[in-house]
Amino acid sequence: MQPIDALRLSPGPIKGVLVKPIIQIMLAITLAGGALMPAGGPLRAAPGGDGVFPFATETHTLDNGLRVILIPISGGGLMSYYSVVRTGSRDEYEPGRTGFAHFFEHMMFRGTKNYPAALYDRTVTGMGADANAYTTDDLTAYHLSFASSDLETVIRIESDRFQHLDYAEGPFQTEAGAVYGEYRKNRTSPWEVLFEALQAKAFSRHTYGHTTMGFEADIKAMPTMYAYSKEFFNRYYRPENVVLLLAGDFDSAAALALIRKHYGEWKKGYVPPQVPAEPEQTAERRIAVRYDGRTLPLLVVGYKGQRFDPSDRLMVAGSMLDDLLFGETSDIYQKLVLQEQSVEFISADFGFNRDPGLWNIYAMVKDPAGVPAVLEEIDRTVAAYLDRPVTASKLENLKKRLKYSFLMNLDTPDKVAGRLARFVAITGGIEAVDTLYRAYDAVTAGDIQQAVATYLSPKRRTVVTLKGRD
Amino acid sequence: MPRNTRCFTLLLVITGLIMSSCSVPSSEHVVLLPVKDDPTISFRIWFKVGSQNDPEGKEGLAALTASLMTEGATEKRSYDEIIEAMYPMAAGYGSSVDKDMTVIVGRVHRDNIEEYYGLLTDALLHPAFREEDFDRIRSNMRNGIEKGLRYANDEELGKAAFYNLVYEGTRYGHLETGTLSSLDAITLDDVRAFYQKWYTRENVVIGLGGGYDNSLVSRLESDLQTLPEGAAQQPDPPAPMPIEGLEMLVVEKECDATAISFGFPISVLRGDEDFYALALFNSWFGEHRNSSSHLYQVIREARGMNYGDYSYIEIFPNGGRRQMPAPNNARRQQLFEVWLRPVQHAHRHFALRAAMRELQLVIDNGLTEEQFELTKKFLDKYALQYAKTTSDRLGYAVDSKFYGITGDYIELFRRKIAALTREQVNDAIRRHLRTDRVKFAVVTSDAESFKNALVANAPSPVTYDTPKPPEVLEEDMIISTYALPFSEENIRILPVDDMFR
Repeated sequence: MQPIDALRLSPGPIKGVLVKPIIQIMLAITLAGGALMPAGGPLRAAPGGDGVFPFATETHTLDNGLRVILIPISGGGLMSYYSVVRTGSRDEYEPGRTGFAHFFEHMMFRGTKNYPAALYDRTVTGMGADANAYTTDDLTAYHLSFASSDLETVIRIESDRFQHLDYAEGPFQTEAGAVYGEYRKNRTSPWEVLFEALQAKAFSRHTYGHTTMGFEADIKAMPTMYAYSKEFFNRYYRPENVVLLLAGDFDSAAALALIRKHYGEWKKGYVPPQVPAEPEQTAERRIAVRYDGRTLPLLVVGYKGQRFDPSDRLMVAGSMLDDLLFGETSDIYQKLVLQEQSVEFISADFGFNRDPGLWNIYAMVKDPAGVPAVLEEIDRTVAAYLDRPVTASKLENLKKRLKYSFLMNLDTPDKVAGRLARFVAITGGIEAVDTLYRAYDAVTAGDIQQAVATYLSPKRRTVVTLKGRD
Repeated sequence: MPRNTRCFTLLLVITGLIMSSCSVPSSEHVVLLPVKDDPTISFRIWFKVGSQNDPEGKEGLAALTASLMTEGATEKRSYDEIIEAMYPMAAGYGSSVDKDMTVIVGRVHRDNIEEYYGLLTDALLHPAFREEDFDRIRSNMRNGIEKGLRYANDEELGKAAFYNLVYEGTRYGHLETGTLSSLDAITLDDVRAFYQKWYTRENVVIGLGGGYDNSLVSRLESDLQTLPEGAAQQPDPPAPMPIEGLEMLVVEKECDATAISFGFPISVLRGDEDFYALALFNSWFGEHRNSSSHLYQVIREARGMNYGDYSYIEIFPNGGRRQMPAPNNARRQQLFEVWLRPVQHAHRHFALRAAMRELQLVIDNGLTEEQFELTKKFLDKYALQYAKTTSDRLGYAVDSKFYGITGDYIELFRRKIAALTREQVNDAIRRHLRTDRVKFAVVTSDAESFKNALVANAPSPVTYDTPKPPEVLEEDMIISTYALPFSEENIRILPVDDMFR
């Protein structure tokens, strides 16, 4: 059984139950690594039921536009500190700059005049903090988990690098080499090849047409982009475009005072990216890709989804279709995975995005000749939902699942903050969580049927098949 | 959401670190970690069996059996009915099979404990071992080896090759999922017999954590008394073969980058005095996915050669995905391991030399006072990050039972680290680490030329696409001719298709 944690893909390592790691690796590699997340990808907190977000929260906005969200949770002595930059690979609208948001995330660890990289590292090391960062389509997040007594130090070093990042061209170029290494590491996975092809085919203008990692040619050219990196920082690393998210065992008033002191002088100046709108897709697109290695055939069907808007009940209903139509209790899963055993797995992820992204269905098919049959089965699944509404019990079970999934995954300050980061990136705050909760509750069988009709139409989709070497 | 309005007691359950929770003294077969305000209940049911108990020629049987229990039907319900029942609870259970231990892991919101408990105990006590589940799971395991490990993940391939190499000829010397031919040789009767032999009431330890009611403990104890009878004899811990000089297995395949793992068995286990001294060394040298560690600084930070470089003194499965170590991989035999994430083929010889040289340098010179103090300070707090959730802490508690450690392990670890002196650490480094008898597993292309270069100790100068500071270039001169005494007969080349056959 795949526990829900392994299905609801989160940005960090998959925690909790690990079932036969090797088998899950293929899926996890592509989806669990932050930089690898496809547009329309994961990190979807899944609230549900009563609309209960169980913690008190405070939101403050500094004069320079910096938003601060505080979620004090007493006990334990640990806390999590997220700096969410509302910029990801979506913002890479200029030709030749794909992958830059992710690359820039690396540069944020290259130090300032006050805290050169070695001193920054030593400071983090001295705190015993678990510090890292990830980049996805819609955001870049820098996060630390640490003993609360070190909060002032964390605020000092984080505010410093966000305002005064300073690196020379040499280290910049060295880091570009490391990013290329990361690309090479990822490329051994057929999923990375698949997503690159899918996104490029599905989007003709919008920046979701490239992966967060970026195109290889652009990554190779990164060492020449030193001047651009400064511009990137000046445009996007501005208080209006950043949200601080603190969760855990700390005192709100003291934290806020420190944040005002250390971030108060940060100058405004955010320049929004000119992300082109994607024209409406009017016909199905198909592409077959080869993978220069061996793998079972892969199939992904990516439907154009909807921009995240929890006040739009149709969009909310649409986002529930992944689990409902293609999850472990779906008819198609029962048939293909359990009875016929013609696919190794099938799953879907209809995620939340700032702009309309892709809502994907994935399958790993055992026999190359069996791929068309899986696609037909997907079509049959959609047709069945068009014909007859979902039963009341099935819909209720899904709502209950969304609620318990949410509640069970708030068990560390890290997870609380991590779950909220995408909401923060997309909407600027966390109010959307409650709205989403209420919307889940209100979704009816009619909404589900309408969502199927609206979103899962063949003309909205891109079908990619991948085959490896024989 | 409304601000400042809600403050449920639920918030106290940010689990890992609730100080109000206290461990109730656990009996021989029970490990308890009550966390009163935790709205969830965690299970870790440990069976004293692992891949070391796979019969010869039927490697993978332990993993297959555990998977059939947790991903297959029970006598009462088909697997799809089980999934259906779990679905609204957003709960599940799964198995983790390592060399010495198998743990059935589960977690549920306490609202749903009654229904969940029935499903979980059913899986433990009445697995159906049906043909269709067997076929599905075995096929997935085969594909995991044949398509996944061999061809879709060179990092895991390199590590798996390394582990098999270190423990070659012992009960630890095969993948938990076996080999293609051993999986083919397993029958459903083998699975049933394996379950009868190892999943016995004498062989089980109950791990229970979170917001459970006390009555659940006795109920589970009593229910597990209906497991099969019998106490199977455990084999001795593996005695790895002595290593002759530098031994390398080169797995040859078409690939764009070279994955490198090396190391050797060590005799130190959690609970031993030297363990903590080595843990401090290891944290400085190569703390997993930590940019301040030394190897990372030398290979990744200063030279940009790859994505990361780490070292270990305990097995660390799923390192590519996990930031923190997973519990329940406790073993009676551990190893020292260095893992270099993929480097360009042109840098493979150099990266290997750099890592080996750094190991020799720290053996020769030990940690400086500053390095020692900083690492000590780091570990004191970083150790809190190892187990933040109730389930992970429960996992650590089960491991402590395995190692015969009493009390909270993380606290013990911090105390031991705090009490260390630099001399103890440097002394442990000298006694347990070495560079003259080491095993290497490398996944790369054009293996023959790599072998020739190694045997000839050919210089491996590197060039960079980007400028580097003079001190780095000077050190490169030393690294590029650093002698590693490989001999021809100690380097084997194996095509990837021959791996795990």
